[in-house]
Amino acid sequence: NIQPPEKPLQAQEWNRLKESFQLPEAFEEVMFNNMIRCNSPIDVAKSLMTHVAKSNGDVAYHLLVKYLALCVQQGQTSEIRDVYDIMKTRFRTLDSGAYNLLIRGLCNSDEWRMALTLLEEVRKTMVPSRTNYESCIKAASRHQEMNLAFELYREMLAKDLVPTFDVLQALFDFSRGVEGAQLQKELFDILLYLRENQKYPHKTFMWSIKLWFESIPGGHWRGNLTNIKDSGQCPVCKHQLEDSDLTEEEYNKLRERIVRDVIHGTDTFRKTSPQEFEAFQTFVENRLPFDIVIDGLNVSHIKPRKMQCENLFDAVNCLAKENTRLLVLGRKHMLVNSSNWKREIMKEMQNKADFFFAENISEDDAFLLYATLQSGKHCKFVTRDFLRDHKACLSDNLTRHLFRKWQRGHQIAFSVEGKHINFLPALRYDCVVQTTGDTWHIPYKDAFEEKYSYQVPRKWLCIQQK
Amino acid sequence: SCSSSEKLDLDAWKKVMKSGLQEEVSETISEHQEPSSLASAREILDMWRLAGRLVPENMSEEQLQTFIECPTKSAKKKYLKFLHLKELKKKSDKRKMEEKRKRRLESQERDPKTDETKRNSHICLWTNNMDKAYSWRAAQSMIFGQPLVFDMSYEKDMSVQEVANTVRQLVLSEGCNRRSVDPFHIHFCNFKENSLYHKILIKHYKESWGKLLITVTDQCYTDVFPKDKLIYLTADSPKVMKRFDHDKIYIVGSMVDKSIKTGVSLAQAKRLGLETAALPLEKYLLWNTGAKNLTLDQMMHILLTLKDTGDWKKALEFVPKRKYCGFVNK
Repeated sequence: NIQPPEKPLQAQEWNRLKESFQLPEAFEEVMFNNMIRCNSPIDVAKSLMTHVAKSNGDVAYHLLVKYLALCVQQGQTSEIRDVYDIMKTRFRTLDSGAYNLLIRGLCNSDEWRMALTLLEEVRKTMVPSRTNYESCIKAASRHQEMNLAFELYREMLAKDLVPTFDVLQALFDFSRGVEGAQLQKELFDILLYLRENQKYPHKTFMWSIKLWFESIPGGHWRGNLTNIKDSGQCPVCKHQLEDSDLTEEEYNKLRERIVRDVIHGTDTFRKTSPQEFEAFQTFVENRLPFDIVIDGLNVSHIKPRKMQCENLFDAVNCLAKENTRLLVLGRKHMLVNSSNWKREIMKEMQNKADFFFAENISEDDAFLLYATLQSGKHCKFVTRDFLRDHKACLSDNLTRHLFRKWQRGHQIAFSVEGKHINFLPALRYDCVVQTTGDTWHIPYKDAFEEKYSYQVPRKWLCIQQK
Repeated sequence: SCSSSEKLDLDAWKKVMKSGLQEEVSETISEHQEPSSLASAREILDMWRLAGRLVPENMSEEQLQTFIECPTKSAKKKYLKFLHLKELKKKSDKRKMEEKRKRRLESQERDPKTDETKRNSHICLWTNNMDKAYSWRAAQSMIFGQPLVFDMSYEKDMSVQEVANTVRQLVLSEGCNRRSVDPFHIHFCNFKENSLYHKILIKHYKESWGKLLITVTDQCYTDVFPKDKLIYLTADSPKVMKRFDHDKIYIVGSMVDKSIKTGVSLAQAKRLGLETAALPLEKYLLWNTGAKNLTLDQMMHILLTLKDTGDWKKALEFVPKRKYCGFVNK
C-alpha cells in the first residue's frame, strides 16, 4: 500500500508516484482513501486535486466526494462550502453520500443553518437518513434552538427513523436549566417514548436525565440512584412500582394474536394440526384454570447427568405445593417406556399434575403459551426457553411489546445450584420507565452495550418532586 | 523534496472546475422525457454511479420501476447490486464469445481444408441423434418409468425471484433426467395454468414446452396415485430414508426457500396425511455448514443415482462439497 506524502507535491512528482503504483487507473482513489485514513494535511489533498484537474481538465465526482470527506473529517468549513458550490453548479442533484458529508460537516461549524437548507434539498428526492436528522438536531440544540431541534426530532419519528440514545441525550443536555413548559413536555415525551418502546438508557444518558430534572428552574426535583426490592417498592421514595399486569383489553389482544400468529400462522399444519389443536383446546377448557404451566421437555434437561423423567419429577414435586394446579406439556414419545422415560415415574407424576402430550413433530411451546394465557392473569409458566422465535411470529411491534411485558411478569425461569433447583419467580413489578406525575422511575443499564431483550436492568433512577 | 520552493497554487483545481461548466449543463437538460418519478430516480442513480457505487449502466423502465418500489434502502441497494453483477456477467460473456469467434475465424484462415480431409462412416449429426435417443428414452419412461412428482403448490410461499430460481432448477432437473440411462417419469402436480411458474417455464422452454416428455397436471398427486405409495421428501421430516424403494412414488416440493421458512413442505405432507422422509445426510456425511435442503437438480441427481445403483455414497457425491467435510467412515 502507498503512503500519502507529507507535503503538497508538484505535478511531476505526482506523476512519478502514479507511475510507480501498480494500478495507475485507481491511483487517485486509493491515494484519497489513504489520505482520509491517515488524516493527511488538506494542502496535500489540494495539490492532488489541482494535479488531477490540470491533467484531465476535470475532477471526477467520486474524487470530489473523497476530498469532501477529508474536509469534513478536519472541519474545513470554507473548503466544504467551496466543494458544495462546485458540485451544485456541475450537477443537478448529489448522491446521498455527498449530502451526508455536507450536512455533517456544516453542522459542526458556524454555518450550521446551511445544513438545514441541504436537509430540505434531500427531502425533495429521498428520505433523509437518521444521521442527517441527528446532525441537524444536535447542531440546533447546541445553538439553543430547542424548538427547531424538537421539530426535527418529531419529523424524524414521523418517518419511522429510530433515534439513537446519543441524540436523545443531546436534547436533555442542551435543555439543562432552560425554562419553558413546552420544552418540559417535549422531554417528558422522550421519556414516554422510552417507555413505549421498552428501552433502557445507559448510565451516562441516565446522568443527563437526572441533571436535567434537577436543573428545571423552580421544579424542585431530586434524583437518586437505587435498587428496587423484589416487592417492587422503591427504597428512596417508598413508592410502589407498576405491576406487570396487562389491562383486560391488552390481555385479550395478546391472547388473540398468539392464537392467530403463533399457533396458526400462515398454516396451522406447520406447528400442529387443526385436530390436535382442537383436542388441546377442549382438554384445557375442561380443566381450567391452571396456576403453573410447565414445559416438560425443557425442564427435563435441567441436570444433564440425571434421567430426564427424574428431572421432571423433581420439578413437579418442587412446584406442586398447596393445591397449585399444574399442567405439564410434553410429547408423545415421553409415554414410550425408555431409558430416559420410565413408565412408573410418569404414572406417579400424572397423579400430581395434568399432562398433555403433543405429537412428536408438533411444537409444544405454542401450547404452553395458549394454556397459560387461557388460564388467566395469575397463571405463570416454567421454561428456560426465551421464546424469541414465538415473539418473532407476532405481526406488529405493539403486540411484541405486550408479549415481552407479559413474559417478564409470568415466566418462571430456573437455575441449578448443585443439587438444588432454584425457581426464579417472575418480577412482580414492571421494568419500564414510569411516572406518577410527581415521581419518575427510570431503569438504566450499566454499560452502553445493549443487553439481551430478556434481561432487564436492576438499577434504577428515582426522581421525585419535593 | 527539493522542488517545494516553487509556489504551488493549491486552489487551481477550483478554477478549472468552474471554467468547464458551461457546456455540461446545457447537455444534461434536454434529454429525458420519462415520467418525473422515473426521471428523478434515474438522476439519483446517475449520481450514485458517479460516486462509485455498484449501479448498472443501463436500466430499463421496468427495472427502474421495480427499483422505486423496493420498500427499504437496503432492498434498493441489493437490487442494484444484483443488476450490476448481472450486467457484468453479460458483458464478460459477450467478450468471451467474441474472442472465441475471432479465434475460430483465425484457425479457419490458417488451414481452410480440414473439413474435406475427414473421412467417416457417420455424418456429423451428433446432437440431433442424441436428442432423438434421449427423447426415445423419455418416451419409454412415460410408459414404463417410475414416477417422480414435483409439487408445484408453493408459489404463494415464494418471492418472484425465488420462483424464477425454482424454475431454473426444474429445467436443470428435467435436463439431467432426460440424459440419464433410465429416466423417471416426471410429474408436475398441482400445476396451475397461467401461474407464475407457468409463465417462467415458457420463458425458459419457449415452444418446446408443449413437446416436453413429462406429465403436467393441475391435479394433486393424491388424486393421481394411491396414497400409500407416496413419500414426501422434505429435510424437516423426522424419518430418515434408509433405502430407495422402486415401488414408491417420491414427491419433491418445487420450492426455493431463501428466508428459512421451516416446515412448509412438512405441513403440506401432514395435511394430506402422507409418509415423509429426509435424506440420510447426517448418517453418511460429516456435515460442515449450510442448510440441509438441497436444490432440485441436486435432488434429481441423487435420486437418479440411487435408482441406478442404490449406492448412498455415490449418490451423496452430488451434495455440494462446501456443505460437508467428508464421508463418515464405517
